[in-house]
Amino acid sequence: MLPEGIKLKEKRTDKGNRRSIAEINEKIKSGDAQILTAEEMKKLVESSGIEVAFKEVDIVTTGTFGAMCSSGAIINVGHADPPIKIQKAWINDVEVCHPGAAVDLYIGATIMSETRSFEYGGGHVIEDLIRGKEVELRATAYGTDCYPRTRLETTITKEDLNQFYLLNFRNCYQRYVCATNSRDEIIYTYMGKLLPRFRNATFSGAGELNPLMNDPDYETIGVGTRIFLGGAQGYVIGEGTQHEPGNRFGTIMVRGDCKKMSPEFIRGATYAKYGTTLYVGIGIPIPILNEDIAKKVAIRDEEIVTDIVDYGVPRRGRPKLGKVNYKELKSGTVTINDRSVKVSSLSSLKTARKIAETLKSWIENTTFYLTAPSEKLPTDTLFKPMKQTKEVSFVEGIVHAAVTCTEDEEIRTVAERIISRSVNHIVVVDNRGKLRGIVTSWDITRAVGQGNGKLADIIVRKVVTTTPDEPLEAASRKLAQHNISALPVINRDRKVLGIVTAEDISKLIGR
Amino acid sequence: MVRVLLKFSKEIVDQPITSQIILEKGIPINILSAHISQRGGEIIADIPSDQANKAIEAFREKGVTVDVSKLIEVDEKCFDCGACVSLCPVTAITFDKDFSVVFDENKCLGVTCSLCVDACPVRAIRLIG
Repeated sequence: MLPEGIKLKEKRTDKGNRRSIAEINEKIKSGDAQILTAEEMKKLVESSGIEVAFKEVDIVTTGTFGAMCSSGAIINVGHADPPIKIQKAWINDVEVCHPGAAVDLYIGATIMSETRSFEYGGGHVIEDLIRGKEVELRATAYGTDCYPRTRLETTITKEDLNQFYLLNFRNCYQRYVCATNSRDEIIYTYMGKLLPRFRNATFSGAGELNPLMNDPDYETIGVGTRIFLGGAQGYVIGEGTQHEPGNRFGTIMVRGDCKKMSPEFIRGATYAKYGTTLYVGIGIPIPILNEDIAKKVAIRDEEIVTDIVDYGVPRRGRPKLGKVNYKELKSGTVTINDRSVKVSSLSSLKTARKIAETLKSWIENTTFYLTAPSEKLPTDTLFKPMKQTKEVSFVEGIVHAAVTCTEDEEIRTVAERIISRSVNHIVVVDNRGKLRGIVTSWDITRAVGQGNGKLADIIVRKVVTTTPDEPLEAASRKLAQHNISALPVINRDRKVLGIVTAEDISKLIGR
Repeated sequence: MVRVLLKFSKEIVDQPITSQIILEKGIPINILSAHISQRGGEIIADIPSDQANKAIEAFREKGVTVDVSKLIEVDEKCFDCGACVSLCPVTAITFDKDFSVVFDENKCLGVTCSLCVDACPVRAIRLIG
């Protein structure tokens, strides 16, 4: 019995234990090719086994639709008269870089508008151009003997461009981490909005539908592989930056003709208080050349495991809080520190599915043929951290013991302690040394002045804190953001380890 | 249940209007969220459907603005990414079986919550009120 919704063609002529891409293309031409989406194929393998699945199926289509920041488009705007060698340029107030000769520009997806900031960026410019909208181009130059012009203002649409190609240097991550936040405040990240104290979690990626996950050893996807890109046909042009095959964090570099793309599969987007980006739709056909490849495309969400990572710690090595698989991620809840936490995707699983189905229909309608890669993607590259020549300071480098008190002490006793220890901040702790609040010399002065009797009434209980492994830059950002002058240093159990003050930080900078 | 958004101007915000109506009319009004300061207040509450008109009338008599229209609007820009789903504290935003994002206007807390609004990558969510 075949799974519901899957129909196989009747006459099959396959013999032997392998087939070539040329043979598959012949079958596409004659209408004999059997194509399933990755989700259909997995069901078929479960119901009928690998052997049948390999014999019956020629191609499996995959799909993903997520925010891919390392995206952009190269455009050539043609020559003006008199001509200009563009030095700086803006489209709809988004600075576009000028990496080449006179009139080639690269629209980076993450560059934000100089007038609309987070609300509009390079990703939106690309989407607007694909939609056929008119955009404003502004450019300046220093002027040369052959390119005398120094200023330019005009409007353009995609029809006015000589070339308009999406040229993305890192797309389609094989899998990604699940993000959550340990801090006491909401944080805005490239993994979306994360609520305080692990109240939610986010993830990205299509799991078992992801193109690279279905060809994890890059046996069929390589340089020159024809793909679905943004609603048009595009190509893989190599491995993407940060390609890390050993850890199943593979990526690809892609290129495609924007003039043929559809805004349904290419969308400019904003991650609040983080920046702008571009949602990119990618679908890759996997030719089922042998049984081994059939076995690999059978991978299920529950077999794709990733880390739950604390984005509340702004360090390269963010703490890992546990493991989770994509089946759990798609279920809507994950377990973090023994608590059930809501989780949701940032990439659209519905659109990913639609991409796999659209690609399937293109092949069935003989408008899309497969290509054999002319070069394989590397399987041994590492993703190295940055070489740094200057030391970075962390809170642990300047933390010193905090002067503390308990809630039941008299205001007068605390005032005397402020004078005898000559400090401005007293950290309030409980009898186990855990943080209960903070009082400043100002709070005490006011209380004494007003004849206010109880310490408990003047304690500030909502305390902004730091941890020993926080970079000093992040700590001083907190001081400025909250307009305060000291941060108690605490550990994961909220035990007070010490204090850092604005004075400590400015001393360090003045050194 | 009828969900209402009650708006109290700064002139009446210090009066115990809600409790008066609960006591005088005997209507079990369920307060779901409230934001109150000296400048005014907003309360989202559920009222049993059969007593809704009576309660709304009573609130309006005491100078409260009652908004019974829907609290959330999602336009066609939404492409079902799900960035809003995990943020919703009352599970008003969920994934359908086919991974469409579905909004339940009856559960939404509207302007008193609004956690999802700025998280939408394409600004498709708008709160009313």
